Amino acid sequence: MQEAITTSPASSPTRAEVDSGDPAIRIRDLDFLYGSNQVIHNVSLDIFPKEVMAFIGPSGCGKSTLLRCLNRMNDLVDGARIGKGSIEIHGVDLHDKSVDVIELRKKVGMVFQKSNPFPKSIYQNVAYGLQIQGVKSKRVVDQKVEESLRKAALWEEVKDRLNENAYGLSGGQQQRLCIARTLAVEPEIILMDEPCSALDPVATGRVEELILELKNEYTIVVVTHNMQQAGRISDRTAFFYLGKLIECDLTKKIFLNPSKQQTEDYISGKFG
Amino acid sequence: MSPEKEPRHPFATRLTAERAQEFVMFGLLRGMTFFVLFCAAFLFWDIISKGSSKVFEGDGLINWEFLTEHPQTLHVIGEGEDEIKLSSSNYYKLKDEKMLNKWEEFRQSDGHGTARRELDARFYQLQNEWSKDSLLVADEKFLLRERENATNKFAFWKEMLTDPKTTAEDFEIKVEEVPGMVTQFMLGHFEKERGRFSLVEEKVTLFRATHYPKIENLSLAHAEEVEMEYLAFLTEIPEAYNQSIASFGEEAKSSYDEFLQTEGPKEFGRFAEAIVAYSAARNVLLGPDHDLENWEALQASLAPFKQAMAVSLPSKDYAYSGGGIFPAIIGTLLLVIGAMTIAIVLGVFCAIFLAEYGKAGKFLSMVRLAILNLAGVPSIIFGLFGFGLFVIFLDWNVSLLAGWFTLAFMVLPIVITASEEALRSIPQGFRESSLALGATKWTMIKTSVLPFAMPGILTSSILGVARAAGETAPIMFTAAYAKRSDLPWEGLEHWTDFFFQGVMALPYHIYVVSAKIPQNAYTADMQYGTAFVFLLLVVGVASLSIILRNRLRKKYRW
Repeated sequence: MQEAITTSPASSPTRAEVDSGDPAIRIRDLDFLYGSNQVIHNVSLDIFPKEVMAFIGPSGCGKSTLLRCLNRMNDLVDGARIGKGSIEIHGVDLHDKSVDVIELRKKVGMVFQKSNPFPKSIYQNVAYGLQIQGVKSKRVVDQKVEESLRKAALWEEVKDRLNENAYGLSGGQQQRLCIARTLAVEPEIILMDEPCSALDPVATGRVEELILELKNEYTIVVVTHNMQQAGRISDRTAFFYLGKLIECDLTKKIFLNPSKQQTEDYISGKFG
Repeated sequence: MSPEKEPRHPFATRLTAERAQEFVMFGLLRGMTFFVLFCAAFLFWDIISKGSSKVFEGDGLINWEFLTEHPQTLHVIGEGEDEIKLSSSNYYKLKDEKMLNKWEEFRQSDGHGTARRELDARFYQLQNEWSKDSLLVADEKFLLRERENATNKFAFWKEMLTDPKTTAEDFEIKVEEVPGMVTQFMLGHFEKERGRFSLVEEKVTLFRATHYPKIENLSLAHAEEVEMEYLAFLTEIPEAYNQSIASFGEEAKSSYDEFLQTEGPKEFGRFAEAIVAYSAARNVLLGPDHDLENWEALQASLAPFKQAMAVSLPSKDYAYSGGGIFPAIIGTLLLVIGAMTIAIVLGVFCAIFLAEYGKAGKFLSMVRLAILNLAGVPSIIFGLFGFGLFVIFLDWNVSLLAGWFTLAFMVLPIVITASEEALRSIPQGFRESSLALGATKWTMIKTSVLPFAMPGILTSSILGVARAAGETAPIMFTAAYAKRSDLPWEGLEHWTDFFFQGVMALPYHIYVVSAKIPQNAYTADMQYGTAFVFLLLVVGVASLSIILRNRLRKKYRW
C-alpha cells in the first residue's frame, strides 16, 4: 500500500508526461447511442502506450460505455451503435469491416467489475483463453499459466491448489485470477471496469499494486468511482460528465489544479 | 364475550372475527395439505400392496419369472388350497416331465417287450412297399380308377348340359341357370380334388386356373375339352406322388432306425409322424380299399407307445394372465431412451438458438407461442399426429422409430422451455469474460454456457422422462404391440430392422390387461404387478437423472 503511493505518477514522469510517441488508442469526435439515446457526445481522447488512464465521473456519465467501446463489447447490446467519429488502435479503425472482433479482443483484454471466474479449476480458468485458441501443448499451457499467475501476483498463493475450484478463492484473489486469465492471452491493452468496487480495502490494495506493476508492460484503462484510487494508480485522468469529456490531464493536475469548474466541484465532492 | 367476563389484562386473548377467520383458514389449509398427502400415500400403498404379491413370491423372494419372461397363458391346476399356478412354458415343461416318467415306466413294464416285437414285425412287412415295381402297379391302378371317376363325373355334367330342360325341372331352376350351376359343381369338384391331392395342390390349382375361362363360360363343347385335358393331366399326378412317397418312406425308415437306437418319446414322435405322412400319401395313390390290413396292424402296434406318451394334466387356462413382462420393461426403456435422446438434442439446440442467438422480435414471440401451445396439446392428439405422419405417410409402420419421434415431440416443449430457462440463468459475466478472451460466440456457448446449464437441462429432462415413460396414448397407434414374445434384438434380418419393429410397453400393457382381455381372478395380479414395476422403473430412471444432475451441480458451482 505504502509502496504503491510512493511509486505514484507524482514522483515518476510517464511517457504521457513527456508527451512523446503515437497514442495507443486514439478516439476522435465519438458519438455513441443506445437506440436513439445518445450516451457519448463528441469525445476525443488519446491514450498512450504503457500508461494508466483513469476514467472518472458520476454514474451514467458514459465512462463504462466508452471503455466497452474499446474492445467492442457493446456489440452484444441490441441497438448499440456509433453515431459519428472513430476509435483507432495502432491507426486501425475498430469499426472497419476488415477488423475481426475476435482478434481485437485478444489484443484488448478486459477485467469486469464483478469478478467472474468460470466455475472450473484455477488452472482451467487461466488456461481457458489459450485452449479456445487451440493451444494443445500441455507444456506451453503450463508455462503460460504459471507466468500469468506470477504476473498477477497470485502464483505464490495458489500454486499448491491449481486444480481446486476458483470459487474457493477470496474475492480479491478471484479478481486477480481474472486479471491473470486476461494476461494469459497476451493483450497489449487491458480495460478494467471498476475492478475493485466489490473488494475490501486490503484486497483493493493488492489489485492496485498489481496495476502499477503491470503498467510496465501494458497499456491500462481503468474506470473507477473511487477518486483516491484514481489518484494512487493513474498517470492521467479523464473526467466525464453527462456523456461529455470535461477534462483530461495529468492526474496530479486534475486533483490539485483542475482547469474546469465542474471538475473541481466533482473532485471536492460538491456533486456526484 | 359476555359482559361479566372482563379481560384480566390488556393482552388477554379475545375471540374476534379476524381470529376466527384465521383459525378456520389454518384448519382448512392444513386439512387440504393432509388430504393431498393422504391421497398420495394411498396411491402408493395400493399399488405396492397389491403389486407386491405378483412381484414377490410367497416367501419374500423376487419373482424372477415375472421380470424375465414374456406374457403367457396362465394354467391353474387344482382348486382352492392345492391350486398351482403355472405359466405356459412351465406347464408344458411339467407335462413333458410327466410324459417322460410315464414313458420310462412303460419301458420298464412287461408289456414293453411284446409291443416292441409287434412293432418290429409290422414295420418289416411294410419295408418293401415303396419299391419301384409295386409303385408302377399302383400308378396303373391309380390312373384307371381316377380316370373312371372323372369320366363318370364329366358324363353326369355333360348329360345335364345336353338336356338342360330336364335338369332345370329336376333342380327347380330356370333353364338358363343350368350352365352356371354345372360350373359351380365343376369348380367344387376341383376344389375337393385340390384337398385330396394335397401333395400336388399347386398343380391342380394351376390346371383349374388355366381352364377357368372355359369352365366359367360352360358349354357342352367346353366341358368336353376340359374333360380331355383333365384326363391327360391325371398322368402327371402319380409321378409327383411317387417321389414324395419314396422320401416319406425313407424318412420313416431313418426315423425308425433312430428310434431303435434311442427309444425316447421324441424319436417315437418323429417316426409316428413319418408313418402318418406316408400312409396319407399312399392312400391317395393306392385308393382307400387297398391292402389295409397291414396298415391297420401297424397302427395298432403303435398304440401302446402312443398310450405311453399320452399324459393329461387338466388345468383351467386364462389367456394373458401368466408369464412376465420382460418385453414390456425392455420396450419402455428403449422408448424412453430413444425419445429422450431425440428430444434433448432437438430441444437443446432449439433452446440455444432461442436464448443465445435469437433477437427479441415477432419471430421469437411466435416461436414461444407455438411451444407454449404445443405443451398444452393432449397426448392422444400427439398419438394421432404420429400415426398420420410417421406410421402412414412416412410408412414406418408401428415401430420404435415412430414411437420415438411421437414421444419426442410430446416432451419437446418441456425440454425447450426448461433448457432455455437453464441457459438464461447462467450469469452474463461468464459470457462476457469468455468473449473478452477472444472466444467466438459458439466457442463461448460451448465452453462457458452449456456445461454450466447442463444440470438445469437435466432437471427438465427428468420431467420429460416420467412423461415419456408414462403416456399410453401417443404409443398405442405408433409403437406398442399388445403382445410380442420376441425381444427387440431377436430375429432381426438386418440391423436397420431394429428401428422398424413395434415393442411392448408397460403403460400399454397395463391398459391391455385391464381393458382388452377377459377379466378373471388372476388379471388383477397382472395389472398391479405391472404397475408396481412401472412405478419402480420411473422412480429409478428419475433418481438416476437426479444423481447425475447433483454430481454436475457439485462440479459447477458458483
